[in-house]
Amino acid sequence: MPQHIKRLLGVFAIFIVLFLVMRQVLKPSSFGKLGHFRADAIYENTLKPMHYTVADSCTKCHRTIRTEKDKGFHKNLKCEVCHGPGLKHSLFAGQFKVGELPDSLKLNKPGERKDCGVCHQKNAARIKILFDTINTTMVRQIDLAEHNPPDLKANEPANCIDCHNPHQP
Amino acid sequence: MEDHLQNLYEVLSKIEGYVYPNEIELNWSILIVLYPYITGLVAGAFILASLERIFKIKVLKPTYGIALLTAFSFMLVATMPLVSHLGKPLRAYEIMITPHSSSAMAIFGFVYLWYLMVVLFLEIWFDYRRDMVIWGNESKGVKRFLYKLLSLWTTDISPKAVALDDRIGYIVTVIGIPSAFLLHGYVGFIFGSIKANPWWSTVLMPVIFLFSAMVSGIALVMIIYIVLTKIRKQLLDMDCLDTIAKYLFYILIIDFALEGLDQIHRIYVAEESFEALHALVFGKLFYTLFIYQGLLGTIVPLLTLGTLQFYKPKPQIRKVIYIILPILVLMGIFFMRWNVVIGGQLFSKSFYGYTTFKTGLIGMEGYLMAATWLIIPFLILSFLLWLLPPWRKIETSHE
Repeated sequence: MPQHIKRLLGVFAIFIVLFLVMRQVLKPSSFGKLGHFRADAIYENTLKPMHYTVADSCTKCHRTIRTEKDKGFHKNLKCEVCHGPGLKHSLFAGQFKVGELPDSLKLNKPGERKDCGVCHQKNAARIKILFDTINTTMVRQIDLAEHNPPDLKANEPANCIDCHNPHQP
Repeated sequence: MEDHLQNLYEVLSKIEGYVYPNEIELNWSILIVLYPYITGLVAGAFILASLERIFKIKVLKPTYGIALLTAFSFMLVATMPLVSHLGKPLRAYEIMITPHSSSAMAIFGFVYLWYLMVVLFLEIWFDYRRDMVIWGNESKGVKRFLYKLLSLWTTDISPKAVALDDRIGYIVTVIGIPSAFLLHGYVGFIFGSIKANPWWSTVLMPVIFLFSAMVSGIALVMIIYIVLTKIRKQLLDMDCLDTIAKYLFYILIIDFALEGLDQIHRIYVAEESFEALHALVFGKLFYTLFIYQGLLGTIVPLLTLGTLQFYKPKPQIRKVIYIILPILVLMGIFFMRWNVVIGGQLFSKSFYGYTTFKTGLIGMEGYLMAATWLIIPFLILSFLLWLLPPWRKIETSHE
């Protein structure tokens, strides 16, 4: 084999070896252990603080509401969808008497028109996705401006929950 | 006005009709327009070089070396618009060290590397090795070192070794043609396989990209050849230019036919996206599609080049035509990329609304950044032409 071809092949060999070495050096050590990704990413995510609990932990103390909710349209909604993250509440609220719960353990009690509007306000995109095509997951669309509008003169808020029980709408 | 209302006002002033929230801002900006544009210039310039080498069109000899060096200069920069588009550019190498076969972009990294190292680098190396050995012995200082380094301190320039170089160079070019098709077809594939976007999702996309790449690459080499010859105060080889123009004409016809076919198919089939796309091309894309890409970038060059096939004006007039036409063609292909990349993001996938593309002069995704990545290949090319001037090479017949 001529000298220059040998040298060229040598350069390519060095390049390929260098690439393979660099690959080993740069590749995260946990890559490929569990699949085509960095396995440590899962571990690192478990170190993040938790905020949400499981639905059953609400039922321990709030059984009646759960029974009520199971009969209505909202039966598939987790409590935390409306009331916010409840891990801390579920762990520590039992230690306090009713009415003595510190603010840091209190959960949201959304009751205004806009709170229900998050899911139920009429929306062009939502109609196409949820109303027309998949009837089973239909979310009732309400025009908040027209449906029982608040009487501004009387200064009454006319909240949705005045008529609809949010746990069994 | 309150801050959030001011922000909302600015956002709403960009959109018409109904768009999904993630469609308001265009994620793929002008840098993603440049990526297929620059890659196309590479593939096109290489195809022109291979016309001389493989298809033995000897009249193209003056442009062979220029075409190769042009392809190489642009290839070195081809991925840079992508890298500078990334939010974390320093992580760009990860696509190469942990590639997955289901990722089109990860495999592109290797297609790119194959084309850069195995095709372009090897072809140029074998083509210039003897000259680099000779120039290395003749020059002094840094230049001498560069020639010695590039020729890997080899000395063998016997006729036998040179003949072997020529043979290997020929084989590399033969491999290079399908590789060039692969390289740019792949860029088209990346867009054409995005099935959620009716403006992109067509199997014709790789072929359209390929032929528009050839058109732009040939036009680029044509203009570089004219400018270089003027700078060197040499006479233009009109036979060579006429032949390039002829091939430009042929490939432009194919490109025009393919794009026309794509649009006619789209119009005839008139799928549910049709009305939204119809309003798009006659609205936001009217100037870039019909005027810049269609009329100035395709129809005018086609008619002019077509006329030149049976009526040859005086060389002086032809020279002027050969300067203006490539510029028009290059502009047309740039706007073709623009219409694909930007156009595909301007309409909502709900087909109910449109957004607007706005970018600034400065910033990571601004016009200056884009201009930088278009200018740097020319600087690299100037350096390569200084180091490896094709006109100083010893004449070889490439048989």
